Amino acid sequence: MRNRIISLVVSSVMVMTLGVITAAAFTKTATIKVEGMKCAKCSSSVAKALKATEGVEDVQVSSEKGEAVIKYDDQKLTEAKLREVINGTGFKAVAEPGQ
Amino acid sequence: MNLLGIIFAAAMIVFSPVSVLPQDVKAPQFELKDLNGRIVRLSDYKGKVVLINFWATWCPPCRAEMPDLVRYQRQYRKQGLQIIGITYEPESKTRLRRFARSLKVNYPIVLGSPQIKARFSSEETLPLTVVINRDGKVSDVIVGILLHEEFDEKIKPLLMKNVEGG
Repeated sequence: MRNRIISLVVSSVMVMTLGVITAAAFTKTATIKVEGMKCAKCSSSVAKALKATEGVEDVQVSSEKGEAVIKYDDQKLTEAKLREVINGTGFKAVAEPGQ
Repeated sequence: MNLLGIIFAAAMIVFSPVSVLPQDVKAPQFELKDLNGRIVRLSDYKGKVVLINFWATWCPPCRAEMPDLVRYQRQYRKQGLQIIGITYEPESKTRLRRFARSLKVNYPIVLGSPQIKARFSSEETLPLTVVINRDGKVSDVIVGILLHEEFDEKIKPLLMKNVEGG
């Protein structure tokens, strides 16, 4: 009986650990330079549109730095899609060299 | 709304750092001139679902959402949708006319003031869209770009209801 409980606990811990590792592996962070975000009054639309996108987990937009830092699930989204969403708000996501 | 409700709503406006009109309150009336000098009154659109869109030509998200607003106005005019665009100085009328023509804007663009916007919300974000139902009451204040999901969720249901509330 005791062995059964131990093996149950061990397997539960293993499953949970695997789940956490898998979730972390799917979460990516992208820092995207955004052109034209000079006014704080209108840059909030970038964060709004990104947050409404399925697969986006967290968004920090800074009009001072002119960038958006986005945590997203790379199983559901690509960085290209994130750029598309930003461009849809009227600003311009600057392409990184080689993209 | 009883007296206590009115006091509570007023307190919410006064004490919140960013205040918007609480839902279900009669929309403040206005009378403003469009780009051709014609008077546009909110009361002209009684019984319609009105979207008051505060915008500016220098605001990229405002420009980005305008083709969608033009499309919504065309698509839902028969169901009683009326959009009114309000912008204010330092916009020049010439620039506004040229801009509106280039996008084939099919709803009135009127010249307001920050004070007019402040009657609806102290939020400084642009664009800002106030949704007014067929009873002339504020149904929602949408801060930032109007997303398709928001139109479907917050505006379409109002268009489905007829004037009698059916």
